[in-house]
Amino acid sequence: MSAIGRLLRNENNIDFPGLWKRSLTISAVLLLIAVGALLFRGFNLGIEFEGGSSWTVTNTDATGDDIRDALEPLGLDNPRVQQVSNGAWRVRAETNSTAGLNEVSQALADAGGVTTDDVTASAVGASWGSEVTAKARTALIVFFFVLFIYISLRLEWKMAVGALAAVAHDILITVGMYALFQFEVTSATVIAFLTILGYSLYDTLVVFDKIRENERRATGAAAMTYTEVTSFSLNQVIMRSINTTITSVMPVLAVLVVGRFILGAVTLQEFAIALLGGLMVGTYSSLFVATPIVAWLKEREASNVERQVAATKRKADDLDIGAVLDQADRSRKVRSGARGEGHRVTGSSARTVTRPAGQKVTVTKRRNEAGSRSSDAKSAADAADRKPTGEIKPRPRKKKR
Amino acid sequence: MLKNALISLIGTVAVAVGLLVWSISVGQAPLLGLDLQGGVEVVLEPVDTPENLALATQENLDVAVEILRKRVDAIGVAEPDITTQTGGGTNFIIVQLPGIDNQEEAVALVGTTAQLQFRAVLFEESSQQHRSVALELGDYGPEITNGGPNISDLLADPNLLSDPANTPADESAIFLTVADEAGRRSRVLVGPTEFTGSALSGAEAIFRGSWEVEVTFKSGAEGLDLFNESARRCYFPDEQGISRDDSCRWGRLAFVLDGVVESSPRINSPNFDRRQVQITRDFGFPEADARQQALILDFGALPLAFSDPAESGLVNTVSASLGRDSLDAGLLAGAVGLALVALYMIWYYRLLGLAAILSLTLSASLLWVVVSYLSVSRGLALTLAGVVGLIVSIGVSLDSNVIFFEDLKELVRRGDSLSLAVNKAFPTAFGTVFWANLATLIGALILYLLTVGSVKGFALMLAIASVLDLVATYFFMAPFVKFVAGRFGDKPTLFGVRKQRLADGADEVAEVGA
Repeated sequence: MSAIGRLLRNENNIDFPGLWKRSLTISAVLLLIAVGALLFRGFNLGIEFEGGSSWTVTNTDATGDDIRDALEPLGLDNPRVQQVSNGAWRVRAETNSTAGLNEVSQALADAGGVTTDDVTASAVGASWGSEVTAKARTALIVFFFVLFIYISLRLEWKMAVGALAAVAHDILITVGMYALFQFEVTSATVIAFLTILGYSLYDTLVVFDKIRENERRATGAAAMTYTEVTSFSLNQVIMRSINTTITSVMPVLAVLVVGRFILGAVTLQEFAIALLGGLMVGTYSSLFVATPIVAWLKEREASNVERQVAATKRKADDLDIGAVLDQADRSRKVRSGARGEGHRVTGSSARTVTRPAGQKVTVTKRRNEAGSRSSDAKSAADAADRKPTGEIKPRPRKKKR
Repeated sequence: MLKNALISLIGTVAVAVGLLVWSISVGQAPLLGLDLQGGVEVVLEPVDTPENLALATQENLDVAVEILRKRVDAIGVAEPDITTQTGGGTNFIIVQLPGIDNQEEAVALVGTTAQLQFRAVLFEESSQQHRSVALELGDYGPEITNGGPNISDLLADPNLLSDPANTPADESAIFLTVADEAGRRSRVLVGPTEFTGSALSGAEAIFRGSWEVEVTFKSGAEGLDLFNESARRCYFPDEQGISRDDSCRWGRLAFVLDGVVESSPRINSPNFDRRQVQITRDFGFPEADARQQALILDFGALPLAFSDPAESGLVNTVSASLGRDSLDAGLLAGAVGLALVALYMIWYYRLLGLAAILSLTLSASLLWVVVSYLSVSRGLALTLAGVVGLIVSIGVSLDSNVIFFEDLKELVRRGDSLSLAVNKAFPTAFGTVFWANLATLIGALILYLLTVGSVKGFALMLAIASVLDLVATYFFMAPFVKFVAGRFGDKPTLFGVRKQRLADGADEVAEVGA
């Protein structure tokens, strides 16, 4: 069965912890490149941030296209062409080494069919005041602080560390892209950052929620080490991650393709590339940056040492994790049936109760499918034996408001 | 169960359609940004007097730009473009605002002539005091007015309310209008300008048992020293008496904005610290007044005077800065992208995908309504990048559906019937989505509250998008899935679940049901 086929059937069993070392190395390298690019190349700040020049062409009947066509060969970054209601055209751009103030004036005069006397040039200050940046910086600090508290309350502080580290990772890499490729930083860039910031955080929290749900389930017979819990959870969410990435990236890809090949809208290109990179890094970091950090922090907890002991025992039985989890859940449900949850007992749980252990279809050995049937049955019977001995703690059912 | 789902479905769709129809019928539509639609441009040129031109340094213009930005921000989240320009030896400011049709509105918003002055109160006209004090003041008249019009003459003319356009600026004492809480207008005689709003660094309305305004001055000779110099002269310990220094006879300092006395608080100490200055009112300010006052002090302090652009023909409309093709490209790309997303979802999840797409359409139309409303009420403007960002957020919001569907498929694979799986999977999936969206919402609100300009506007849109995502998921997508699962539960392929696997589970359900 192909890997994709397994993914589609949710039968994937990717060894995520085995990939983490590599992924963290990749991330470290990416971060290093990002920081290096920031330090050595810096930003290509747009006119909003560092000012530029402005030309006003008067007494002309030129159209916007005339003006834009005239500017095209000069290679200006995103020139802003506006017509003022008194008939004049105004162009704002940053001059560059090949197109100085006079070159642009001349080109505009030619385009407008006038002499350079009708073109006035002036210097433009930054429209993006330093105060805007200062406030955004403060807001970002508050953002991290408040969300640390929020995630700590909702999940736990170790997950807050993981989630915010992933967010910082994503933002830094996106920022690094801007520095490395010398994309022009404009007010659109800010929107790209905000989109990525929101997405990265959201995506990580969804993954963490699954991990925590499984952590609660994985006690007793189904005991797993924390790392196993995370790996199991990641296998569960991977299809979701892939699908969500596809649905969020498709519009961005469309912008890139439509912009580049059909309509030649340069303005959108860099914005879309940054968004594309950020969204993909956002998904990646949830699985390969945030989760290893949390797993690493959690494995050091004392209570998780117990889990490791229990997990060793379970491993000795060589059971499939998912199946054991199901089994543990069902036994909890059967017990909680008395609390008015009886109607929720599913077909599967009925199966568990009524069928002989050997015929269970759910508890199978996955690792060595070729293994003998008898050991299969034995382990399943083991699990069934263990179930009523009270080793499994009933999980308090989540109250849904 | 199914009936409830149907009611919720119909109700949600009815509300959404109703809102959309209302929004369109009252003519609300999203406002497009300067890059897409253009807007109004106001050129602010410094008043052409030697003293004022000397003030028109780059530094002062930058201060003025910040103040103008605050004024625009205070009324909403429009993304203005405010720049200084230097050409032909003069400095000036260009303010562009997106989409405002009415040019007067733009001029009023930018409030070009607003300049905040602090002047000592020499005399306040009020019904009880009028006679006696007028007589008393008559003796001081010539000295007080510094060679201006004789005070007795001024008092004798009941029609002489201030006309800031005609009164000479700073040098002499003038009468200015003041309105009291009840809106009654009276006149105040104020002395020469002691200092201007540029001495302030900020003002804030604060609640400490009652509302008051806290004013912060700049430190040193350009700020606090100026204020303390006035405070020393205006302060008098005996509240009944009259200040010993004739230059501030009433013991009060008036804040004059555009020739109107905004307030004239009594000075209660001869010496203040930088952050110690509070304006209080006897029984506390009403909150709105306190905020208004703070706004004026905070934003009104242009460091130099600008000529009225409406009179000098410097108000113009401007066209979009991006070519028409950019907007077309953005919209086409968005449409293509979302269409691909729709195809993918329906291919992968079948009927569930359809539910997701319908839910998406619902939240997108609600987004349209909210953005249109905010465009009209708060000047929210969509730039090209904003449009694309929103489209991406819409794509991301499909995730709340994907999480649910994956859980659902997982349960069905494990043997649950479809409708059972729907009821089991949704609470958990929605819990996950709820808490994760709440985090995004908190983050977006923090950014909205603490930032200015384009960050603010887009953060607001992100926050709205995540709320609408939850609404559409809870009130539309879930009931829809419940409903179709009830109707077509026997046709698993319609839900993108492998048939043989479901057959296994369906069989089990049959057993239990029996």
